[in-house]
Amino acid sequence: MIPAAFEYFAPGSVAEAIGLLEQHGDEAKLLAGGHSLLPALKLRLSQPGVLIDISRVAELHGIEAGDRLSIGAATTYAAIASDPAVLGGCAVLAECAGQIGDIQVRNRGTLGGALAHADPAADLPAVVLALDAAIAVQGPAGARSISADDMFVEMLTTALEPNEVVTRVTFPVLGAGEGASYAKLKHPASRYAIVGVAAYVRLHADGSVAAARVAVTGAGPRAERQHATESALVGSAGDAAAIAAAAELAGESMEYLGDIHASETYRRAMVKVYTRRALEQAVARARG
Amino acid sequence: MIGASLPRPDAVGKVTGATAYPGDLVRAGMAHLAVVYAGRPHARIRHIDTSAARALPGVLAVLTAADVPFNRFGLIDADAPVLCDDVVRYVGDRVALVVADDPASARAATALVRVDYEDLPLVGDVHAALHPDAPLLHPHRPGNIVHRLQIRRGDPDRGFAEADIVLSETFRTSWQEHAFLQPEAGVAWVDDDGRIVVETAGQWLHEDRRQIAAMLRLPEDRVVVRYAAIGGAFGGREDLGVQHLLALAAWVCRRHVALVWRRDESMATRHKRHPFTIETRWGARRDGTITAVAARLLADGGAYASTSQEVVKIATLFATGCYEVANVALEGLALYTNNVPSGAFRGFGSPQAQFASESMVTRLARALGIDPVEMRRRNLYREGSIEPSGEPLPPGVSVRACLDAVVDELARQPQSAPPAGWRRGWGVACGIKNVGYSFGYPEQATATVELSGADVIERAVVRTGVADVGQGSHLAMRQIAAAALGLALGQVHLISDDSAATPDAGSASASRLTLVAGRAVHDAALAALARWHDEERPACATVQFRPRATTPLAAADGAGRPNYCYGYTAQALEVDVDPATGACRVVTIISAHDVGRAINRQQVEGQIEGALAQALGYALMEEFQMRDGQVRTAGFSTYLLPTALDMAPRIIPLILEHADDQGPFGARGMSEMPLVPFAPALAAAIHDATGAWLSRQPMTPERVRAAVRRATAGEEQP
Ligand SMILES: Cc1cc2nc3c(=O)[nH]c(=O)nc-3n(C[C@H](O)[C@H](O)[C@H](O)COP(=O)(O)OP(=O)(O)OC[C@H]3O[C@@H](n4cnc5c(N)ncnc54)[C@H](O)[C@@H]3O)c2cc1C
Repeated sequence: MIPAAFEYFAPGSVAEAIGLLEQHGDEAKLLAGGHSLLPALKLRLSQPGVLIDISRVAELHGIEAGDRLSIGAATTYAAIASDPAVLGGCAVLAECAGQIGDIQVRNRGTLGGALAHADPAADLPAVVLALDAAIAVQGPAGARSISADDMFVEMLTTALEPNEVVTRVTFPVLGAGEGASYAKLKHPASRYAIVGVAAYVRLHADGSVAAARVAVTGAGPRAERQHATESALVGSAGDAAAIAAAAELAGESMEYLGDIHASETYRRAMVKVYTRRALEQAVARARG
Repeated sequence: MIGASLPRPDAVGKVTGATAYPGDLVRAGMAHLAVVYAGRPHARIRHIDTSAARALPGVLAVLTAADVPFNRFGLIDADAPVLCDDVVRYVGDRVALVVADDPASARAATALVRVDYEDLPLVGDVHAALHPDAPLLHPHRPGNIVHRLQIRRGDPDRGFAEADIVLSETFRTSWQEHAFLQPEAGVAWVDDDGRIVVETAGQWLHEDRRQIAAMLRLPEDRVVVRYAAIGGAFGGREDLGVQHLLALAAWVCRRHVALVWRRDESMATRHKRHPFTIETRWGARRDGTITAVAARLLADGGAYASTSQEVVKIATLFATGCYEVANVALEGLALYTNNVPSGAFRGFGSPQAQFASESMVTRLARALGIDPVEMRRRNLYREGSIEPSGEPLPPGVSVRACLDAVVDELARQPQSAPPAGWRRGWGVACGIKNVGYSFGYPEQATATVELSGADVIERAVVRTGVADVGQGSHLAMRQIAAAALGLALGQVHLISDDSAATPDAGSASASRLTLVAGRAVHDAALAALARWHDEERPACATVQFRPRATTPLAAADGAGRPNYCYGYTAQALEVDVDPATGACRVVTIISAHDVGRAINRQQVEGQIEGALAQALGYALMEEFQMRDGQVRTAGFSTYLLPTALDMAPRIIPLILEHADDQGPFGARGMSEMPLVPFAPALAAAIHDATGAWLSRQPMTPERVRAAVRRATAGEEQP
């Protein structure tokens, strides 16, 4: 449980961090909250020779409110969960961040770290997908934006290029007729998602469903949109029967991971149960 | 004094961290031990090469089987090697012991001990163990049988023929990990008198001493065992853990040595509660009279004997629960496998057996349309009832009173609704568990009391080797002595943690210390008082208390007088079930216990609440898992324990006091009993809520959901 030796840098800017990444190549790893990286170091699953600590880079911090919410990558879950602008404009993000791990994890873990790490049981990727958030990154070749749908490639793998840093993530501010929810079956010890479902809906004035985005995390190797559920819901009345029918379609084409706490069969069933719960809640919120 | 909720004198030190547990005894300059484990479930050792490990700087010695004077240990059957010589039989078997200047060097050297193994075929579970071609784990044990017994009474065939209804079911329970707070640790050295001294935590000073002396081929008075504060035990410190390893290293190396286990070492190598498979058949008449019970109980004993023999006897004796049944045919079988050994754990076979028996009583009641409480009342043990072994129960049969107390309390419960979408149910179960050693095992406790003072008694010194594993026995012993002598608590001093300074009180197990050691303290106090009145100064008396004798069970039919005292209990649980996910939430627990006499009421309630937490974990989530002889749950991220958030918000302990005829002030033991009825009461509540029957423990969400779906599908069938 003791990591191998490493060199430690604490750059003052993103540019400096990128410079260090380029200088040390494969040897180097970014360190944010450390709540995925440090366990991996201690178990010696990962043995980088250089750690570049970006947790105190000022430009990676802060929540900027406007038409959209722009959140710095090094912002902690605790900061997100208690931020008035998030609670007012994008409450589902606070709802999700507030359920991650325990207090220690929430005080250290960061938005950028969670997305870059892409743990199959991480919560935030589902919300990022359901809200169609945009991930701003910066690298040796400059800055670019990655759409949520392109971000999560496979287990522990994202669309980030080598030496790219997640800098900010932009979320929509939800208005009238919109609602979102995150429903989670927690691992009893770690609180990671065994199944986590994020749902977003927008309703027409008559109450029928104009748009829906649903994403599942925890059950399989990566967080995934649930297109069949979304299509079934759009155009429906958004009532209990329509939600139940749409939820039955969730997880049908997914790959599953089973473990000693929950088999693949159980996860498959729970994807439907939690999709229904997330959708019921999202619709109820959209109706106000 | 008796019954008062006196605060625990040890509490402040334990909470502030001032108290020394065994791991706190490590001092600068001590040599450190690290164990080389087998890491494989079944293999022949061809060769052990310790040269690379010995060459590592800081390493003082690497001990192997050749260094152990008598290389066998065990509580009942000394069948476990201290360090394996020829064969390893489970992953946690110890192969070598490194002694080094510091812990890091010791650990590093373990990786350099090269063991050349030839893997042997795996005996992965009881079914594999029973196979006619199964390899034998211990060549002198045909059929891989640790112990087999049968108990027959009446005419089972006729009993089943007389039944209006016969139900059969197979129940399964899992291993349970003791999960005490403080992993095994200790220190040892050879003192100036040439005695080997071991300071650690355990459950029975004098038994640890006996086994260490046997291992070192020393007379027992050359071995001293002392206990520091003990961070929980629950049966998990009955088998030797680090005691003998410390003694061996100190003796061979003539050094002060220390060993502190990591949690994963503790979990992966120590014995567990036995997993049982119980196939059982119950017959009853329409009026609810149980006419016959047949049961076959298979226990996975793991690699070594430990206490399997006694556990399977207890489980078999309780296969009919606390019900008088005229016709019984019971068979119990404990088997060797290449799994972690199974041994003592709070309840000692009773929870497993009564998960089956209590569940069957509820099922019979439901099938007959009789209220499960009424069904119990018709069949419960009464004063003078005959046990399966054919003899009347010891006096003081109070299970009916426990059940009545629970039912009265139930009637007073406020009505409330479960959360939306959840279903709520109530379940009731009873329980029985022996107090003290069984089946003719010599049972005694000895205490010495010395009174000093001039005109009046100023001070009493009580000596008895009682291990306070956290249950509060030290305070209980002092309260008993103070009450017997009419002294204030502060005048009574207890010496209890040193095998050289105390007489043998037996183990902290089988809920026995309050009754047996408490009675010895009580009687010694009165004897010393008599001498005080005869003007002896100081007045000193030693008393050995031996309760009513028990007998072994006859081989042919199990006839005998197995126990001298029983503890009785009944429980009701209110449980919410989410049928969609299978999640269960225990809302209310009513737990009634006849404790004879509460010596310290707060401690009794503490034992009830603590045992209920362990029971809740066992019933709902705790599942130690092995596959192909490898441990899959060696930490608390994989082995799930309940937390405060999982406990029932309402716990109502009911303490009954029907005096026992042998215990001090009428007290009888109670610390295991809350574990006995919990799981079957939970299963009954789940059934009440959803119509689903659970027959496998733990009742995880996945299993509950599957059972609910089966039950619902059954309803839909024509
Ligand atoms: C006990 C425990 C319980 C947990 N429970 C949960 C839970 O319930 N739900 C959940 O979602 N997660 C949970 N986690 C994981 C936690 O959320 C982690 O914090 C998160 O996965 C990683 O974020 P971090 O800031 O700690 O990143 P780090 O661990 O510091 O880094 C993780 C990886 O991301 C890279 N990285 C970090 N920041 C950036 C960046 N800005 N740009 C590019 N790469 C970057 C690092 O190089 C590293 O490879 C738990 C962790 C623990 C220890």
